Amino acid sequence: MPLRSDHTRWSTAAKTFHWVMALLILGNGAFAFWMDGLKPSLQKINLFALHKSIGLTVLALFLLRVLWRAIDRRPPDVPAPRWQHLAAKTVHGFLYLLIAAIPLSGWAFNSAHGFPLQYFKQFNLPALVEKNPELSDTLGMVHVYLFWFLLLVLVAHVGGALKHHFIDRDDTLRRMLPFGRAKRMPPTLPGDTP
Amino acid sequence: MILTTRRLSVLALALALPLAASAADYKVGPGSTLGFSGKFQGQQFDGTFGKFDAGTISYDAANLAASKFDVTVDMATAKTGDGDRDAALPGSDFFDTKKFATAHYVTTGFSKNAKGDVIANGNLTLHGVTKPVALKVAFSPNAGGARLSVTGTLKRLDFGVGGGEYKDTSTIADEVLVNGSLNLLPK
Repeated sequence: MPLRSDHTRWSTAAKTFHWVMALLILGNGAFAFWMDGLKPSLQKINLFALHKSIGLTVLALFLLRVLWRAIDRRPPDVPAPRWQHLAAKTVHGFLYLLIAAIPLSGWAFNSAHGFPLQYFKQFNLPALVEKNPELSDTLGMVHVYLFWFLLLVLVAHVGGALKHHFIDRDDTLRRMLPFGRAKRMPPTLPGDTP
Repeated sequence: MILTTRRLSVLALALALPLAASAADYKVGPGSTLGFSGKFQGQQFDGTFGKFDAGTISYDAANLAASKFDVTVDMATAKTGDGDRDAALPGSDFFDTKKFATAHYVTTGFSKNAKGDVIANGNLTLHGVTKPVALKVAFSPNAGGARLSVTGTLKRLDFGVGGGEYKDTSTIADEVLVNGSLNLLPK
């Protein structure tokens, strides 16, 4: 699998970022709702610490992904009406925004509550804001609502991908699948000789 | 002539004092604090005890053998600036203040370390467990009395503070710093 993207598929790096982050974000979200209901205990404290560490990992991966995106090529957009390209771009924009905003709001929530922030029990990260109980309550809500909003945007993202795959029967989804690549040869670019 | 006699007697008294078998007795004045510092998830937190009673603070730097500290701490008055933690500390998982309302420290003797610091050796009874705890002593007499600072470390698990799953020292460090800064007034 190529490190960089080409005409027929996204690069291994881009696919890895996409699927690992998808797994971490959804897994960490489900994990959070489950652990939130637990009775207070040290185990709960440690589970929350794990949730925070996973969230920080997502934030770090986000930064690397944005960096990689700036370096990597991209497969050309599959031909579609202009409004669909616009819709896809908007959805992607919101996804990127939320992928950064959810961990950052969690970090700020943690700071406002006055909790330490330790990354997998290895080192501590500074507080983003001063301790403030009112702000903590607000940020806690923001953190959760942003996740619900992400799920909403995700419905559009996944819906679009499935529509391309099963209705349009094009390569949009296939070229992002872990071992997938475009079935049909992409349109030859001017100047390229097959 | 009368004045001179008085001066002489004051001088004689001053000279005799260090030789006296007893050290000066003090009581704890306002502006005194007794506290502790622990580590939770890699971050230090500081606590203070709102109420403690210094039954005996008797100290003379020149007569350590006659010096003595005897302090009782009201464990339910521990505050660390975090609501969740302060609610948990008096509970049965930590101080268990229903069963062990007070901690008690009493010196058994004083010594000097290699650096010349005065070390108070004593026994701390905390959470029903008695273990030796050494405190470094800094004593500076002032106009109204003296300032006494003590610092030391103990291991919370030695005293069974933080039982069950709270024994996990990767989340709550075993080592706890104790410190006192007392404003001493003559008794």
